[in-house]
Amino acid sequence: MSAEEKGRSYIDVVRDELRQYTHSLLRENEKLRAMSTALESDKRRLELEIIEARDVLEQREELRSAVASFNSARSELLNELASAKRERDGATQELDRLRAKFDDVAQENEKYVTQYHQIEHHSSNLSNLYVASYQLHSSVDRRTILETIQEIVVNLIGSEEVAILEADSETGDFRMVASFGVDAARLNRANSGHAQIVKRIAAGELFIDDVAGYEEDALTALVPLKIEERVIGAIVVFRLLEHKQGLQPVDHELFELLAVHASTALHCANLHEASALAVVS
Amino acid sequence: MKRKKILLVDDSNTILMMEKFILKNGPYDLVTASNGEEAVSKASEHIPDLILLDVIMPKMGGFDACRLIRNNEATSNIPIIMVTTRGEAANVEIGWANGCTDYVTKPINTIELLAKVRSYLGTTEEVAS
Repeated sequence: MSAEEKGRSYIDVVRDELRQYTHSLLRENEKLRAMSTALESDKRRLELEIIEARDVLEQREELRSAVASFNSARSELLNELASAKRERDGATQELDRLRAKFDDVAQENEKYVTQYHQIEHHSSNLSNLYVASYQLHSSVDRRTILETIQEIVVNLIGSEEVAILEADSETGDFRMVASFGVDAARLNRANSGHAQIVKRIAAGELFIDDVAGYEEDALTALVPLKIEERVIGAIVVFRLLEHKQGLQPVDHELFELLAVHASTALHCANLHEASALAVVS
Repeated sequence: MKRKKILLVDDSNTILMMEKFILKNGPYDLVTASNGEEAVSKASEHIPDLILLDVIMPKMGGFDACRLIRNNEATSNIPIIMVTTRGEAANVEIGWANGCTDYVTKPINTIELLAKVRSYLGTTEEVAS
């Protein structure tokens, strides 16, 4: 082989090598281009992931903040709850105190109401006694006095069955001089009878039967009319009115008042009548 | 202060005195009559705010007086409380039939009478205001 041939062969070899190298470079370039494309793709993906990660981080931060805010609010609520509980406990105590005070006031009120009723009752009793006394001494007319005695028994004591007996000045016998709802026959058959009544009158003792009942002949009271120790008459009281719930303490006082004041009023009326007759004659 | 006028009607001085005693401390002007005729006349004359009317009286009884007071236009609306010794249902029914508003029984119970008067005329404070 000549040198020229050798040189040509060498050049061909080099050319082949260069071609191969070029091919290799081109392939490498292709590979690099593909890699570059893949890397670009990876880069975009990573960028998206980074963005997503940032969003997640931001959301996490927001959640953290929200949790912190929630915790703060919860803490405030717990404080408020504790405060409300304290206030509630205070209010409960205040309520208990007010209830106790209310009970005290109610009890006191009840006491005042009772006292008020007692005073009204007492005042009413005094009024009864005053009116009875006033009426008995407001006249010296015998008939008026007898009517007043009956009115007191009917309207203040509460019986529509009353008889007034008076001792005859000559014989000393007791006879009925006025009555309301009672006649002589009734008086005779009453309770233990006229004789028994006369016996009680003669004894001069005030007789009151608190449990006389409402039977026709029940004798409720027998009030002797005395001037000093002399019995000049009596008031005989039979049944009480149906709606009257028994005798009250004030009724006893009225009977006692009648025993004293009715006798003096009637005695004065009799003296007045006698003196008037004497003047006329 | 507007005082109320009450007509008290009873033939018994004892009852009239008791009623005056019970009511005199209240803000009431009291007018009295001793029988039904006088009650009818004084009701027309005074036009009271309330009448306390006895049942059994001379000249004219409480039921008749009550009816006449109801029949008079000027006095027809006046509350009338019958004051009776007999609180039996039949007697009360006659009272309602003749136009009475309410009734109290004798012997008069102060607290009951005041309560009824106040229920028709108002309490002392209400009357005073």
